[in-house]
Amino acid sequence: MDKMKMMLVDDEERFLETTKKLLERKGYQVATALSGSEALDKLQKENIQVVILDVKMPGMDGMTTLKAIKNRHPLVEVIMLTGHATVESAVEGLKSGAADYLIKPTDIEDLIRKAEDAYAKRQVLEEKIRGAQARMVTKSSSEKLQETKK
Amino acid sequence: MVDSRYARLRKLILATMILVPAIPFYIVMGIGYYYFTTSIENSTLTSMKRIVDDHRQMIDTFLGERRSDLEFVAQSYTFEDLADPACLYKVFNLLRKKSAAFVDLGVFNEEGIHVTYQGPYKLVGRDYGSEDWFKEVMKQGYYISDIFPGYRRVPHFIIAITRGDPGKRWVLRATIDTQFFTRLVEGVRIGRTGEAYILNDKGILQTQRRSGGDLMDLDADHAVGLTRQEGIKTFLKKSQKGDEFLYATTWLQDKNWLLVVRREEADAFRDVRVATVVIVIINGVVGVGIIAAAIYLTNSIVRRMQEIDSEKEQLGQQLVRASRLAELGEMAAGFAHEINNPLQIMTSEQALVDAIFSDMIRKGELKESQDLADLKDSMAQIKLQIGRCAKITQAILKFGRKSEPVSQDINLVGFIPETTGMIIKKASVNGIAVREEISDKTPVIRGDPSMLQQVLLNLYNNAMDAILEKHGTKGGELVIAAGPDQDGKAKIWITDNGVGISPENLKKIFSPFFTTKPVGHGTGLGLSVCYGIVESIGGAMEVSSQQGVGTTFTIRLPAAA
Repeated sequence: MDKMKMMLVDDEERFLETTKKLLERKGYQVATALSGSEALDKLQKENIQVVILDVKMPGMDGMTTLKAIKNRHPLVEVIMLTGHATVESAVEGLKSGAADYLIKPTDIEDLIRKAEDAYAKRQVLEEKIRGAQARMVTKSSSEKLQETKK
Repeated sequence: MVDSRYARLRKLILATMILVPAIPFYIVMGIGYYYFTTSIENSTLTSMKRIVDDHRQMIDTFLGERRSDLEFVAQSYTFEDLADPACLYKVFNLLRKKSAAFVDLGVFNEEGIHVTYQGPYKLVGRDYGSEDWFKEVMKQGYYISDIFPGYRRVPHFIIAITRGDPGKRWVLRATIDTQFFTRLVEGVRIGRTGEAYILNDKGILQTQRRSGGDLMDLDADHAVGLTRQEGIKTFLKKSQKGDEFLYATTWLQDKNWLLVVRREEADAFRDVRVATVVIVIINGVVGVGIIAAAIYLTNSIVRRMQEIDSEKEQLGQQLVRASRLAELGEMAAGFAHEINNPLQIMTSEQALVDAIFSDMIRKGELKESQDLADLKDSMAQIKLQIGRCAKITQAILKFGRKSEPVSQDINLVGFIPETTGMIIKKASVNGIAVREEISDKTPVIRGDPSMLQQVLLNLYNNAMDAILEKHGTKGGELVIAAGPDQDGKAKIWITDNGVGISPENLKKIFSPFFTTKPVGHGTGLGLSVCYGIVESIGGAMEVSSQQGVGTTFTIRLPAAA
């Protein structure tokens, strides 16, 4: 199984730096982006499975970024990081395809656990996709067989 | 300032309410009184004048007739004819036929010797030459005497006339019984004290006076100022006894007699007096009534205005409080949101420091020491305090949330036990007996179920804290009741037998950040959040408490339409 690579998206640079250091200490690969557009750029270039996305950012906000990510990279799992204690904003994120949400300030353990969960979910999904593709291949060969019988 | 405004207002209303009815009333009463008294006085005076005038005419006519009777006899007969007693007897009888008032008839020669006499007395031959009346008649040719009682105690007077040429003059004299007109005069009665009498020019009574005064007595009340004047005179005069009398007087035509009609003023104007008293009493009663009604109405108007003003003020204060709370909520939410970002960084930094420490220890770069223990403890404390800050900001965000609540029908009969179920375990662990008294008639309300649940849970938790503080884990009691309220509202009340709330704390209980719990154990936002939620549903929340006895929170919620 591949080691998970995650990306932190937040407009607070220091948060990104420190959290990156922390996660790298724990053995994770971490990319960071200071804005939604930077995050989309990096997703194009790097193989990132999980994105931790701040809801409130200047410029392109979290919700728009989420929709863009889900649009271009449906398999990337997104965890929303919300400053609001209310469930509503989180619910909206979940409806738009986010895997989970975290309430600021969040414990690093929580963050890692939810990221792992999302990653596991993605792994399952990928398994299914691979399985389906494999079936397609098998099916097509048997079809070929039948065709040759005719 | 406010009091003086009410005092001024009160004066103004009072003055208006007294003057507006009182002025027209008293004007009407005054005009009525004036015309009434004037008309009574006029009619009293007119009737007295009429009586005086009528009686004067009657007396004048009587006197004139008697005189012309004598003139007729003197014209018709000569001295010689009348000197014959038989002839005089015949003439006297004729006169008596004409008027029974004639008492006797006599003839005198120029010297005053009584020549013939027809009447009840023997007077023939007597010399009257030096008598006053005889001298007077010889001088004037005509004489009417004053009235005197005479021998028979019947009021009389005499009429005498002269005839014949100088040197051969003679006198015809008749005595007249005055009862015909004196009775008329004496019989006058007006009211209780009204009477009539005749005075001569010296103020001697010529008739009896009912109120005292015999014939020939001097009228002490009236003796002065008797000069003859034409016409009828009316005036007011005090009697010697001190009573005020209303007079109507007139002089007779042929004789210097004064006909007097008088009446005690008090009697004459008795109706006026009665009317005056009645009017004064009515005025007094009405005046007192107007003032009393005005005071009563003014007081109730001013009181009502004060009530309205204070209601308005209270409403204004509530509005200000509500808007302040809303502003505060918004501000706090923004503030909390901003605080969360640095808190997030601090969390990460702290976690990083922890991780670095662990790594260094693992690698043996750091040795276990007191300093290291202190550092670890300090870092743990930082983590704890960040957690505390996070709790506060989250509570503030809940309090100041802007999102629209979900609105749906909530049946409290099922909803409350469901919510109570969430704390029943905690309650039983703490030895608190939970009782539910939910009426089936509790109306269905409309609101956000999760928000209402938050309110109830908050109140339950507060109640349980209060119970634990008082009773420990034994003897606690929590009653949750619901039922229909007035105006079709639903009422929920939650009663505990906990420590209770002091009156000064009771005032601040819904204010944000107000808490009595120890530092770090409460944000002071729970009840203000509840208050905001209940208000957003259109309800109201109240609290009543007695220290050492317990607390009741009451929530009233409008029924679903």
